[in-house]
Amino acid sequence: MVDDKVSGRFSNRPQGAIDADIRLTLRARPENVPVVRHVVGALGDALDLAPAVIQDMRLAVTEACTNVVRHAYTEGDGWIELVVRPNGDVLEVTVADSGRGIEPSPDTAGPGLGLPLIAALADSFEIERMGNAGSRLVMSFLRTRATPVMGPA
Amino acid sequence: MSADEAPTRVSIAAGPLVGPVLRRVVGMFAARADLPLDRLDDAVLVADLVAARAPAHVVDDTVDVALESGTRSLDLRIGPLRAGGGSALVVEAAVPGVGNVIERLADGVEVETEGEQEFLRVRLAYGGSD
Repeated sequence: MVDDKVSGRFSNRPQGAIDADIRLTLRARPENVPVVRHVVGALGDALDLAPAVIQDMRLAVTEACTNVVRHAYTEGDGWIELVVRPNGDVLEVTVADSGRGIEPSPDTAGPGLGLPLIAALADSFEIERMGNAGSRLVMSFLRTRATPVMGPA
Repeated sequence: MSADEAPTRVSIAAGPLVGPVLRRVVGMFAARADLPLDRLDDAVLVADLVAARAPAHVVDDTVDVALESGTRSLDLRIGPLRAGGGSALVVEAAVPGVGNVIERLADGVEVETEGEQEFLRVRLAYGGSD
């Protein structure tokens, strides 16, 4: 179970299509994590986001996708879905899977740094669990931020 | 390769984000396909043309592209497009003095029809592709 202190909210909202400006669906494989990271960077540039925001967003999305690759699918292939939806001053970024979601895999003692890191990087986040249908990690980033969370002090 | 079978699918609301996002995705998959630099550049140019022209022909104001990379090959399936959109997209890729850029750069261009919708399939490859 995920530590409640690092999770915004849990829900079991039924899975359905999300209205989005961008939706990217890839196999949940390690080589696809950089693709997602690269796309998020391109998106940030295109939206003229502050470098600090882009940097934090890229890192948070990388962590979220790595979680999916490592933990979501114990048998066979699965998918990562990245959904990005600009909403006023906020950019909502969702990383979804259709497997076990963020549950720790049997070979690990529990969640590592991924979720706490995401919690630190995003302005808000929530995890939506959909039973056996997977999960969504929804992260929100303010478009303006002076310094990156992971940048120099 | 149908959209459901494709290993990678990208869907972008028609607008200013189509170009920046599509060219990055296509560029990364062209690199993964081990296409040489000039063919990678060709793939990005095709992506830019699709980004510029496809919004006029898509269904539901969304540009959808399915990608599949093989050994030195990259397949793009653009659509769903409105009836006639596949051919129109190719025709509109003509540049005065240069000719039709998609037809000149691609190793295969094909319009597939599914009901009232069309899909444009573009294949970029290099010698020895699978």
